[in-house]
Amino acid sequence: MALRNALLRHLRVPVQNLAVRGSNQSQIGFLGSMRAFSSHDDHLSKQDVVDRVLDVVKSFPKVDPAKVTPEVHFQKDLGLDSLDTVEIVMAIEEEFKLEIPDKEADKIDSCSLAIEYVFNHPMSS
Amino acid sequence: MSGVSSAAYFARRAAQKEKVRILYRRALKDTLNWAVHRHIFYRDASDLREKFNANQDVEDVDRIDKLIAHGEAEYDKWRHPDPYIVPWAPGGSKFCRNPTPPAGIEIVYNYGQEDNP
Repeated sequence: MALRNALLRHLRVPVQNLAVRGSNQSQIGFLGSMRAFSSHDDHLSKQDVVDRVLDVVKSFPKVDPAKVTPEVHFQKDLGLDSLDTVEIVMAIEEEFKLEIPDKEADKIDSCSLAIEYVFNHPMSS
Repeated sequence: MSGVSSAAYFARRAAQKEKVRILYRRALKDTLNWAVHRHIFYRDASDLREKFNANQDVEDVDRIDKLIAHGEAEYDKWRHPDPYIVPWAPGGSKFCRNPTPPAGIEIVYNYGQEDNP
């Protein structure tokens, strides 16, 4: 579904998009298709990361989904406990198949930090 | 004098809180290792959370230290012998598999056939 949309985007404005996307993709195959041939080339886009992290936070039972924005702080804005923060970080680890070291995981306190960490991690998928 | 001691007190409390958070995180991962099926995991995870919540209002610093030591001993007792570790992380199955080759090495694809391309 995402591939189809990406393909349609390419076919509509080929010249302009290639210049922008060239920095993201390491190789642009035939017909400007977006398929990457190695599992390490396709990093998640920021919007994907934001959407998935917000989904994880919204499906937490103690959280009111209407209040969740990409800059929300778990303890100050959502009124969660520090143990709840630990649970959310674990859920994010499971969602993106990451392994976050304990010291780093302790520092993740808000949605923006979580999104930044996941986006900058080379192995998030 | 009291300023110094209260700063030390707060530093000690903050260190304890961090220890509690790390202990809770490890205990939760361990619970997931033991209880693989999600519905069992949720039940055990809420039991663990109740145990932590029961002691959350303790103010005496020494008592908190003893509780943390007790909790860590319990965690050591229940550690899983074969925990799930994400494959590319240290301890996982893909760790150090296929490391990037050192710079300067390249593959010659037509070795021995340079004369007739």
